Amino acid sequence: MKVLVAVKRVVDANVNIRVKADATGVELSNVKMAMNPFDEIGVEEAVRLKESGTASEVVAVSAGSSACQETLRTALAMGADRAILVNTDMELQPLAVAKILKAIVDRENPKVILLGKQAIDDDSNATGQMLAALLGWSQGTHISKLLVTDNEVEITREIDGGLETLKLTPPSVLTTDLRLNEPRYASLPNIMKAKKKPIDEVIPEELGVDVTPRLTVLKVEEPPKRSAGVKVSSVKELVEKLRDEAGVI
Amino acid sequence: MTACSVPATVIDRIREIVGPGGYIDNSDDLAPYLEERRGRYFGAVPILVRPKTVNQVSNVVSVCAEAGTPIVPQGGNTGLMGGAVPHDTGSEILLSLTRLNCIRDIDPINNTITVEGGCVLSDVQSAAASVNRLFPLSLAAEGSCQIGGNLSTNAGGINVLRYGSARDLALGLEVVLPNGQVWDGLRRLRKDNTGYDLKQLFIGAEGTLGIITAAVLRLFPSPRETQTAFIAVQGIQEACDLLDQMQVRSNGMVDAFELISDTALDLVLTHMPQTANPLTNSHPWYVLTSLSASSQGQALKIALEETLSSAHELGNIHDAVVATSMEQGRALWRLRESIPEAERRDGASIKHDISVPISQIADFMAQAEASIQAEVARVRLVAFGHLGDGNIHFNLACPVGMDANKFLACGDDLNRVVNDIVSSFDGSISAEHGVGRSKRGEIRRHKSEIEMDIMERIKIAVDPNSLMNPGKVV
Repeated sequence: MKVLVAVKRVVDANVNIRVKADATGVELSNVKMAMNPFDEIGVEEAVRLKESGTASEVVAVSAGSSACQETLRTALAMGADRAILVNTDMELQPLAVAKILKAIVDRENPKVILLGKQAIDDDSNATGQMLAALLGWSQGTHISKLLVTDNEVEITREIDGGLETLKLTPPSVLTTDLRLNEPRYASLPNIMKAKKKPIDEVIPEELGVDVTPRLTVLKVEEPPKRSAGVKVSSVKELVEKLRDEAGVI
Repeated sequence: MTACSVPATVIDRIREIVGPGGYIDNSDDLAPYLEERRGRYFGAVPILVRPKTVNQVSNVVSVCAEAGTPIVPQGGNTGLMGGAVPHDTGSEILLSLTRLNCIRDIDPINNTITVEGGCVLSDVQSAAASVNRLFPLSLAAEGSCQIGGNLSTNAGGINVLRYGSARDLALGLEVVLPNGQVWDGLRRLRKDNTGYDLKQLFIGAEGTLGIITAAVLRLFPSPRETQTAFIAVQGIQEACDLLDQMQVRSNGMVDAFELISDTALDLVLTHMPQTANPLTNSHPWYVLTSLSASSQGQALKIALEETLSSAHELGNIHDAVVATSMEQGRALWRLRESIPEAERRDGASIKHDISVPISQIADFMAQAEASIQAEVARVRLVAFGHLGDGNIHFNLACPVGMDANKFLACGDDLNRVVNDIVSSFDGSISAEHGVGRSKRGEIRRHKSEIEMDIMERIKIAVDPNSLMNPGKVV
């Protein structure tokens, strides 16, 4: 069984994001980049499927500029067997990525594709769902537990009231949530091995995919600054403030 | 020291100088300022003064000088040697610079920041970061320690390897002298050969010569690219060789190179929640290293991976992981930073903060470990620290099954055994924690008569009536 896992290069989760002065987006120059943390969980899960003998091959795929090679190398160092970079400098929106991934799925014929439930840069939470629709596959989103057998994919997702367990008929699109697993570190021997693993490159045109953005960003702004708190001297004052100033009681 | 209480007139005049809000004199509010962090020293004072301006510091010191009242200067009270804690006689006053905390100037072109003594270290780091600069002094207490205290104790921390200790980061000082005079030495110069470098007298003096009220500090380009690795090394000598190779290949970009013994990591994994060994197996010695560069790119990563790969081929390292995100980097650093807390949770511990030349660390460790095992059988060696600076926290944990008090009673003997070996390697018995009250007696065994004589004569020349932090250091 082949597993495909999608990885996105995003601003590192621990970087303080700064909005560009002209409000067209966030500052990306000279900023530390890393693999989208949810995708990292996807890679970890795919590698575990391989280690348990369920998966025969793990293929990592990324779409974006040549810099995404670094992200793919990380996936290879974690244990993916080979990688595909869909190389483009165009801005990629979820629908374009879903179309790209559909084209790759058509070529690779995996039984399962794993994606992060969302990327931490645009927080769209859309690519997995769009991909499932385009493929006509079953989908399991926000999964916190995964069990794959020959004819069945069993997933658990965290929902408001507790845990929901679903059985899907493969092939399936699966998107990962935070508690699915704890991604491993890239070990030195695996980093060295990863340098020798192949990364194939294609461009969207070769896949017959039009990646032209469909959405126009009007403006990107910082959220309003939180004002400092105040200390109240008594419960009475607190109640007064809640009633008269905040208007919440 | 004669223990007469502070005259009421002195307290009144101090209150007048600083005004309401400028002092604390009730015992509940005073309590946290009178205790050393590890709970080994407790003091008593009638008043804690918190001046808001340098002028107020000067006036308070003048009043005390006139009356012969000793002053204990205190920063964030995070020291480990009892240097900032008053004696329990009630004859001293405590002076805190908490309210003297303005950033007076930042000059990115000159790469300097001018700050007041009460600035919290992490605020200085943030101010530097706001103009895309790095203030590299970094230590566990950075969220509460103050820059005046950092300079007075010549604080070290994790970046000494690359940027030096507090002493190396100061270009100028403003100091209130024991007679109340203000020395304005706030020069923002890198070159100034006009006689004795007076600021260096006050740095590391632990408040025994005066009160550092402001300083000019050096800034550096902000790092844009950081690489962090956790490495299982064959032994200490191999770790030292790895450091050398890493410096050569990375062009001196190594920020930190920390040694962690298997026992130290075990304590963390046992006592600290949400920690795990990042490597598959356990090994006797680990190194945690971080490298950084002010430009982005793959160069640093390649240098790190190539160095590790060659060392691996030579058998000098057994295994390693490289962090692929800042989160992973932080998780690796949490292992190192949790060691002191893990030691505390584990129980009785006898601590040493020593340094020897890096080239001698392996020999020192072998000799010291054998000697302490001969002294107390099955003692657990929790060695960790700044290998790149030659500074090891050579701590000893109570043998399993031994009574803690019985173990702690061996403290003086074990200290002496370790310190004598340190001396035989021409090392220091207090690499970064200072002298304070704890090691005031012990340094006399390890420094020459000439050194002690010069130190005492300097003390008398600057503070003839011994009013500045008496009973500490000299």
